[in-house]
Amino acid sequence: MIKKIPWWLGGVLMALLLLFSFSVFGADRPIGASTYVPYFAGIIFDLDPEKYTYLQKIRNPGSWEGVLLLGVLFGAFINAIFITKTFRLTIVPSAWKKYKNNSVASRLIWSFVSGFFLIIGARLAGGCTSGHFLSGMTQTAISSIIFGVVVLISLVVTGKLFYKDNNNAS
Amino acid sequence: MHHEETTYLTKILSMFDAVTQQEHGSILLVFIIGMIFGSIIQYAKVHKFEKIAGFAMLKDTVVPKMLFLAIGLATIGLYFMIEAGYASYHIKPIMLGGLIIGGAIFGASMAIFGKCPGTGPVSVAEGRIDIMVGAFGGILGGLVFTLYYDQFKWIMGESLGKLSLANMFEEYQSIVVLLFGLALVAISILIPLVEEIDEDDRGYDK
Repeated sequence: MIKKIPWWLGGVLMALLLLFSFSVFGADRPIGASTYVPYFAGIIFDLDPEKYTYLQKIRNPGSWEGVLLLGVLFGAFINAIFITKTFRLTIVPSAWKKYKNNSVASRLIWSFVSGFFLIIGARLAGGCTSGHFLSGMTQTAISSIIFGVVVLISLVVTGKLFYKDNNNAS
Repeated sequence: MHHEETTYLTKILSMFDAVTQQEHGSILLVFIIGMIFGSIIQYAKVHKFEKIAGFAMLKDTVVPKMLFLAIGLATIGLYFMIEAGYASYHIKPIMLGGLIIGGAIFGASMAIFGKCPGTGPVSVAEGRIDIMVGAFGGILGGLVFTLYYDQFKWIMGESLGKLSLANMFEEYQSIVVLLFGLALVAISILIPLVEEIDEDDRGYDK
């Protein structure tokens, strides 16, 4: 069984899936993957959609992405158990140990905080890696190109400042 | 307690209802698109902390290579599909405050979390506990955004329209779009391939 594909095959397959989703034979809409988060927050915290304009606004994309997310979770879980055999309960990623620290508390606190701001940032911008980068730039949207440039700069600057450059250690 | 369970169930069922009411594919089709989307990410390994945080540290380039190749190819394909009437544009508005402040926050969070909202669920399904904790943070972020949407809207600013290269250069549309697509494909090939491997995956994950 194949457990890994090269970047170029991943790129070709992702392009084909995007085109299928965009097409009238598929879903006639782009793929997005961050609107489901506030949609689920609305369900979990039992918010009344009548009272919150944002919940009304995201009713359609949020529910569509919610079902998409269930597919992602289901597919990735089945793959991880039976094919890639990558299922294991871990807390600290190996590169975090190599370039940051060995602390479980540090990783969990940073995960929680960065998870929180990841969604704040995505919802402020109106999209994420999927909605803006993949689907938006594919349509040559100026908004997505601006988002892409800002994210790339912020990502690399943060990577430089946040992690230690561990070339010779460990 | 019983009452709460029924409301949750009703709300989850209404999610499926909302999908059937839209004309964006059946529940099964959307679910399958999700499965394929997750599988491509998982097999290409671009959901790994080593790939995303590794890219932020410029020690791994699989993410930008795959991303730019996918965008470049899909740009060209989508252009012809739209010309033929098989697809249409769904362009997001330019809201400078939201794009710049949101993008900066998003990029910094992605570097630290080592995930984005599309790749995180794949890692959750693989048993990564740190990402499950991050997902709770994310849901809290979604809650705060929903509760204070009016204030956040003020940061996002006014929409400057749904501009795209295609509609800005109407006369040379096909050339501009094709060049944009080809440039992205060229970038994806020209970025040198470097990889940061998760030591825990060595052996059984090749």
